[in-house]
Amino acid sequence: MRKQDNEHNIDEADIREARAKFLNHVFDEKTFTFTAEQFADYAIACGETASCYTDPKHPDFQASPGFPCSLHPSQRMPDGYPRFNGLGMDAGKAITVYQPIRPGVTLTGRTHIHDIYTKSGRSGRMVFSLIRMDIYDGENLLSSADTSIVIRERPAA
Amino acid sequence: MNIQVLSDVNFGEELPVFDPDTGIENVRRFCKAANWMGPRFTDHEAAKKEGLPGALVPGIMSQGFLAAMIHRWAPTGNIKHIDTVFRAPVIVDEHYHIKGVVTDIDEDSGQVEIDLTVVNDAGETRVFGTATVVLLQSA
Amino acid sequence: MILDLHAHSIKSDDGRAKVSNYVQWIKTRGLPIDGFVLTEHRQFDFESDYSDMARESGLVILKGSEVETEYGHVLVFGVTESLTQSLDFTNIRLALKDVLKAADDHGAIAIPCHPGRPRVGMAAHIETYGIPAGVGIVETFNGGSRENEDEIAQVMASAQGYRGIGGSDAHIVSHIGRCATRFEDSIRNETELVISLRSGRFEAITYRNAAA
Repeated sequence: MRKQDNEHNIDEADIREARAKFLNHVFDEKTFTFTAEQFADYAIACGETASCYTDPKHPDFQASPGFPCSLHPSQRMPDGYPRFNGLGMDAGKAITVYQPIRPGVTLTGRTHIHDIYTKSGRSGRMVFSLIRMDIYDGENLLSSADTSIVIRERPAA
Repeated sequence: MNIQVLSDVNFGEELPVFDPDTGIENVRRFCKAANWMGPRFTDHEAAKKEGLPGALVPGIMSQGFLAAMIHRWAPTGNIKHIDTVFRAPVIVDEHYHIKGVVTDIDEDSGQVEIDLTVVNDAGETRVFGTATVVLLQSA
Repeated sequence: MILDLHAHSIKSDDGRAKVSNYVQWIKTRGLPIDGFVLTEHRQFDFESDYSDMARESGLVILKGSEVETEYGHVLVFGVTESLTQSLDFTNIRLALKDVLKAADDHGAIAIPCHPGRPRVGMAAHIETYGIPAGVGIVETFNGGSRENEDEIAQVMASAQGYRGIGGSDAHIVSHIGRCATRFEDSIRNETELVISLRSGRFEAITYRNAAA
């Protein structure tokens, strides 16, 4: 990995190199199991009123559509991923739902880096890493949860 | 009016605005359920020490508010995709409005697309996004 | 003629609007604009051809770009292949003077957008870099502005004698047309847009207070 440029913190060559090295390689696999109460609490706090998300006794009870976005892989980034100098924040979340997620089921989340790019914004220059976790029940893909992490560059010293 | 089937929906229709509970106790309840108990979400003073304007409503909770608004409008609507871009912090204990408007209707697939925004009292968009929702094509 | 000079489609990384839905929204809602310009982030979209959509809808649909400089973001209208060959639109550290010169050399025009915005607006960088030479127009109404960002832009424009344009900076369908630019001339293509902007016969307008 190239040494980062001290004036600007984020070296464009590092971005290109990171894309070549990390995109689309699964770097983490983790299993999860959730209770009906966790699903219901999550939904109720969000103001959900549809009983299939809030009432565990509902015959079609399932997790809220966005629930998979709350799942963390065991490691946030792949080994050797560049440590850009700045404050990391969620820039966006997206979920694609294929099948419902039920309580008590063992889920497997497989995570890869889906995109890396830079831009500038109100808070200065930024590096975006789009991390995708595909969530499976056995071999069935239930949902894909995308997290866009932005590193806002700290001003040069 | 609750939406039951696709033919109930009109292009450009605004979903009923929903004012979510962003109080610290509700955010803590959410964070516990989501296993996101970071102090930047649950403690104003700790968040300020991180340089934030106050404790943040987690982005996934804003996303949850938006999904809840869709289900309040169409209780049987099946959200297939929801995509949210966090443009500015949503602060715990401040007042926000959850808005949506129908921007596409696909009669063949039964899908509608909805623009989503989290707006503060000044009318500034803090979060925006889109959702794709499948509705029953007939009762 | 009224054009929204600043809009993003799904071609931009943070754009979530399909162009066909912008058109449907404008027609269905009866928005008082005659068209819009797609200004995708850090690129020029050579691939897309909206001429059929424009003809069928009666709207003007043009293409430009939004690039990034040390003075913040800059809209470029009248982009040609030769301009994209002389300027790397993907570079987020372009020099404003290079953007202005390259645009001028290739029959285009460059206009700093949301200049009152922290970091990505021109006003925030004047203390550091000084008043840039060659700027004649800035965006004084931006549909995504928060707090007093438009006011800062207008004060700066007034102090420097810049003319102002307006654009929604829409990233989702329902935000199109929140701000726009009223031209005295009729505009059918990018070349005419550049001519009209250079003529100075336009004014920035906002519909934000009227928006739902």
